[in-house]
Amino acid sequence: MMWIDSGTMPLLTLSVFFLLLSPATSTSAPGRPRVTSCRSPEKETFTCWWEPGDDGGLPTTYALYYCLEGSETVYECPDYKTAGKNSCFFSKNDTSLWINYNISVVATNAEGKSVSEPVEVDVVYIVQPKTPESVMVSVLEDDHGPYLRVSWDKPRSADTRSGWITLVYQLRVKQVKEENWEEYDAGMQKYYNVFSLHSGKEYMVQVRCKPDHGFWSEWTTPAYIQMPDFIPRERSMWIMVAVFSAFILLIFAWTMNVKRSSVKHYLLPPIPGPKIRGFDQQLLKSGKSEEVFNALVIQGFPPTTNYEDLLVEYLEVYDDVKQELVLNGKNLPEGLLKSKTMSSDNDSGRGSCDSRTLLMEKCAEGVEESGMEQELSQFGESSWASSDSGEDRENPASPRQEDRKVQTWPPVFSSPQPHHFQQQQPGGTRASYHSVPEISCRSPPGHSSGGQQNRFSKPGFYQYTQMHSMDSIEHKHVAQVPQSQSAEYVEVQTVDPENILLLRPLANAEGHDPELSDFAGEDYSKVRDVTSDNILLLQRDLSGPQYVRDYCQDQSGQVDPCFMQLQQVEQTCKPTNVHLHLPSLMLQDGMRLAGNGYVDSTIMMS
Amino acid sequence: MLEMSKSVSLLLMICAHGYPECQTISLADLFNRVIQHSARLHRLSSDLYSEFEQYLIPSKNEIGTRKCHTSYIVTPNGKEHAQKLAGEELTEVILKLLMAWGEPLAQFHQSMTQQQDYNIYSSNKAMEMSDMVHELKNGVQKVAEKMQLLGILSTFLNGEDTLHSLESESSSVFSVDHLNFLHCFRRDSDKIWSYLKILKCRILPESGC
Repeated sequence: MMWIDSGTMPLLTLSVFFLLLSPATSTSAPGRPRVTSCRSPEKETFTCWWEPGDDGGLPTTYALYYCLEGSETVYECPDYKTAGKNSCFFSKNDTSLWINYNISVVATNAEGKSVSEPVEVDVVYIVQPKTPESVMVSVLEDDHGPYLRVSWDKPRSADTRSGWITLVYQLRVKQVKEENWEEYDAGMQKYYNVFSLHSGKEYMVQVRCKPDHGFWSEWTTPAYIQMPDFIPRERSMWIMVAVFSAFILLIFAWTMNVKRSSVKHYLLPPIPGPKIRGFDQQLLKSGKSEEVFNALVIQGFPPTTNYEDLLVEYLEVYDDVKQELVLNGKNLPEGLLKSKTMSSDNDSGRGSCDSRTLLMEKCAEGVEESGMEQELSQFGESSWASSDSGEDRENPASPRQEDRKVQTWPPVFSSPQPHHFQQQQPGGTRASYHSVPEISCRSPPGHSSGGQQNRFSKPGFYQYTQMHSMDSIEHKHVAQVPQSQSAEYVEVQTVDPENILLLRPLANAEGHDPELSDFAGEDYSKVRDVTSDNILLLQRDLSGPQYVRDYCQDQSGQVDPCFMQLQQVEQTCKPTNVHLHLPSLMLQDGMRLAGNGYVDSTIMMS
Repeated sequence: MLEMSKSVSLLLMICAHGYPECQTISLADLFNRVIQHSARLHRLSSDLYSEFEQYLIPSKNEIGTRKCHTSYIVTPNGKEHAQKLAGEELTEVILKLLMAWGEPLAQFHQSMTQQQDYNIYSSNKAMEMSDMVHELKNGVQKVAEKMQLLGILSTFLNGEDTLHSLESESSSVFSVDHLNFLHCFRRDSDKIWSYLKILKCRILPESGC
């Protein structure tokens, strides 16, 4: 026992060594294979494929076994080769429809074998046809443009003719460079038309099919087609329309541009600017406002009165109702005053009046009154109120009351001899000038010159100018000698504060001399007053051309010192009236006064 | 149903004599209608089977042992087999199948309504299937009669009596297993459909075959 055999030791070592080395390449039974799919292309045969599992390091063989439904008989795959590796092909004889196949694959190697999961298969439901064949694509034309026509054939193996299998088709189209496919269902027909494709692009087409119940086939290999270049008719029409309308717009715009101003005038008519007569815009632009506004000034408007002009007034003497002897100061410059008997001129005398309405009324009233009678009261008795200067308003009333026929005769005296005048003046102060502004008819400014006023119309219009004496105003009054041509004109220089007229003759200056010298044959007489009996009281000239009128007062009973001459002819002045009786009234022709007094009967006649 | 078939045959005879009020339908149209009918029937059965398959997982044991009540009817299980049959035989097979399924489908619908598990859509499909089977049977009978009129088909090998007896036999065979039931019906409806198509393309080869 002690004995260890030296020969066994290496044996033991070797055996241990071999034991250790042997497990380096181990084999095992194969892993389980798996039936991947079974397919029938025409519902008459079918094929099953499997994938092998782990082979376990040993060569492994595979076998497919199947059994039919309702039977226990196990059959092995009749054909392993036709369909390729790891496949089993069932021919027509081996294929039965409407029966379940129970298929499994067994892998076997030296170590063992393994069986795959069984698979139930009914051939009717695993039909997947082959791809359609003979896909052809062509470009056709119609009214709307080119389109694609795709045609194909059924897969050769599928028997649709006997009705055993019915196939439906599907195709898809896309541009070569695009990604999205456009799919179309073609039903059971074997052609299809594709519209609305873009011009000039390259397209690719594919087709596939499917049985009644089964799987879609694979897509055919793509067929390429090139679309021709064309312009869609609609687009070309729109292009033409757009070009045409653009052209029209251009023409229109050019025309408007050319006629720019007239268009602007038509659309936006210019608003007429304000027109001021006499307004010179150029002056305004030049910047001198003074001149501009001066230009606006109308000469003569408003009547720039010197108040002198205001003082000069005209009386209207009315001869008759029919005859209206209108003294119109305004008309004087025009020459002899025409008879106003016929025409009722609106301007008759009243025009010479002031613009104030009241004055016009007064004048009118005066006219009316005197129209009734032809009696002129004496100056003194007449109308003026013995009011002081500056009074107004009531003045016209009172003379009226006195003698309604009476006009107010503003005493107008022009005396070549101031002293005479002044002498008489105090007497006449009572018959002071009353200012009846309303009544008084103003003379036009032109009378300031004085020369023109003294012309009277033939019929014997007498014109008196009333002198206003304004209180605080010193005016130059122009006394108008209402006499004939032969009258000499005097001019009132000033009015004293005491209401004294200072006259000065206007002799020779205007060439009225020839008139002055002629008395007897002249037509004009100075009427002093009109009595109630329609008797004119005329005044005689004192001496020569110059005379001074005197007037009698009224009411006061004071009798003005009438002229001597008058007294010769007539009665003395009566308190009320100084009558100049004329054998025939002034209405008669050829009446003449002897001496200085003059009456133009002719005028009165009418 | 017997009276109906008699009346139909009577109508066909009347129309054959050329009465103007009678508008006859061409055989091709008849076939197309019938084929469309059977296609719809098959779609209904497939849908219903898929719905049931979700509810009821078939045990593996049942798959292989399942047996349909119409398995006694010999039907061609391939194209060549089907083409070898004569027109009359093929028509007879179709009619047998349709008759065998009429009553069981009605019972199936009734059992569905009784059980509250199933939704209304499934129940409606079952009812529709039942009705369609009846209609399809009538239609096929009309087609057969028309073919007989046209001389295409000879008289039935089996008289009406045989068919009636077949119908009565199948009524007692009804499986409670709904899934198997539907599986069997789905298969048979597909058979009917396929047989009709073969029949049509054999008799009228130019009408879309």
